[in-house]
Amino acid sequence: MTEARIHDRGYLAYDGPRHGPGRAMVVLGCHTAQRVLGLKRSNWQKVMPAITLLISFVPAIVFIGLAALLPDSSDLDLGEPTEYYGLIVWMVFLFTSFVTPEAICTDRRSGLLGLYLASPLDRDAYLAAKFAAIVVVLGIMTIGPTLLVLIAFTLEGSGPDGAIDWLVEFGRVLASGLAMAAFWGALSLAVSSLTTRRALASVAIFVSLLVSAAVGDGLAQVAEAGDSFGLLNMIALPLEAVYRIYGESNENGPPIAEVGTLPILSTLIGLIAVFLWFARWRYQRIEVNG
Amino acid sequence: MSDIVVSARGVHKSYGSNHVLQGLDCDVGRGITGLLGSNGAGKSTFMGLVLGLRPRQGGTLKVLGVDPDQSGPELRARLGYAPEHHDLPGDVQAADLVRHIAQLHGLPRRAATERASDALWQVGLGEERFRPIGTMSTGQRQRVKMAQALAHDPDLLLLDEPTDGLDPVQRDDMLALIRRVGREFGIDILLSSHLLEEVERVCDSVVILANGVVGHSGPLHQGDSAASGIKVELDSDPRALVAALVAHGATAATDGHILTVTGHDALPDLVRDLVADLGLGLRRLEPRRTTLEDVFIEASQ
Repeated sequence: MTEARIHDRGYLAYDGPRHGPGRAMVVLGCHTAQRVLGLKRSNWQKVMPAITLLISFVPAIVFIGLAALLPDSSDLDLGEPTEYYGLIVWMVFLFTSFVTPEAICTDRRSGLLGLYLASPLDRDAYLAAKFAAIVVVLGIMTIGPTLLVLIAFTLEGSGPDGAIDWLVEFGRVLASGLAMAAFWGALSLAVSSLTTRRALASVAIFVSLLVSAAVGDGLAQVAEAGDSFGLLNMIALPLEAVYRIYGESNENGPPIAEVGTLPILSTLIGLIAVFLWFARWRYQRIEVNG
Repeated sequence: MSDIVVSARGVHKSYGSNHVLQGLDCDVGRGITGLLGSNGAGKSTFMGLVLGLRPRQGGTLKVLGVDPDQSGPELRARLGYAPEHHDLPGDVQAADLVRHIAQLHGLPRRAATERASDALWQVGLGEERFRPIGTMSTGQRQRVKMAQALAHDPDLLLLDEPTDGLDPVQRDDMLALIRRVGREFGIDILLSSHLLEEVERVCDSVVILANGVVGHSGPLHQGDSAASGIKVELDSDPRALVAALVAHGATAATDGHILTVTGHDALPDLVRDLVADLGLGLRRLEPRRTTLEDVFIEASQ
């Protein structure tokens, strides 16, 4: 019997279900997260996200390994949870600078932004999806390792005592990770909105963070006004906010450690709002083909 | 569905002191409509207003019965758009891009995957669908843009300079594809172009923009009938014929031995009889065709 095949079905109308703009945001967010992580892209594009993600998990894996292998892990001093963020903050810094600009720069450079805005997404929905994607990807670094340590230590029997303590600790892990991811994600979005060139955005983020640290700490040490200038240090600010979420302060840290909790958290939230407002302001003015 | 897909009344759009659209009025009907105009006439601006990408500053605009400024996301889910530029992400496979855009327009992932594949076959890129777009020619990229605009089965397709950058063979293929989409697929198309010839070849009707207003709009081949007159070529001085035609209520314009005659119900018969009565030698007698170029020049003035 010969096998019959239909090679050309012709054009078929689509009358199946259609999702709304909310689903479009989820689709765009997932697509952005994939691109930022280098998935479905060349191996070269995977190198930076893979290395920074891997390194940020290394301390967690070492802690868990020590706890599992040593006979009496309850005596093991692995330091405070906040110290973990001090270990990975430079990886988050590199990831923010050299990976996250991919989220929006390439869309404008490749003309994809015009296609996105010709879809059910409007400019605000587009930016919201992009910001969410950056926060989720950064969250893998800022929440993932500490959450892994918490779960592993809990299973091993050396975690927080009781359900309430565990939930408090879990809440701190989430809040700390989100604070760092939201701050650096908003900064990345604001700087990336200025240019279509990813490399330029990377350099701008990298330099702005270093300059803010130098200026903030320098002024705090030189000026009479004192430690409040430390709030300008955009590397130390989210890290210090994490310490405050845990009810501590970074004793051996930069001058910002001397500033009160309320100014630190207010500045952090205020800067996130300013960065997001700036990115929105930029995108309302960008002309797209159409 | 209504016979009018786009209706504009008194639409204004300015960029600072540059008044791009100044009270634009037009109705775009079903079928394939050409949006013509010289560079800077406001074609892309009008496309942007239709898509709801830019707010207008005055007038009313209805696209598929809804206002783009009020219901942009809902409207855009029913529109397909192929932009003018050739830039597309080079490291993305054609099938992935088309599927992604279809998903953004509301299709579930599985349906989007199937329709992306179908759309790429329909535009002639079935075998090439897994190639990165960066490795494709300009003609193939234009087809990818067409496929991503088609995959979610839009009610109205907006094509901005779809033959830009194509060689003559690729242009013929693209025009044939546009004709097929409009006629066989039954999708209404608004095609922006500054090339009269390609609009004349594929469109059913035309909207000509000039100086921020509509210079002309209507069916494209309306002027082909005898109602727009006839051309008469004599082998001698036509003045006697002109006088006779005017005496019978017709209008005649001369260009050497060639007359353009209008303004009478039975022109061919009248001219034939008068030429015979006057004993003149007739070289040619044919319907006068109003070309799109004639209309465009008149509209632009």
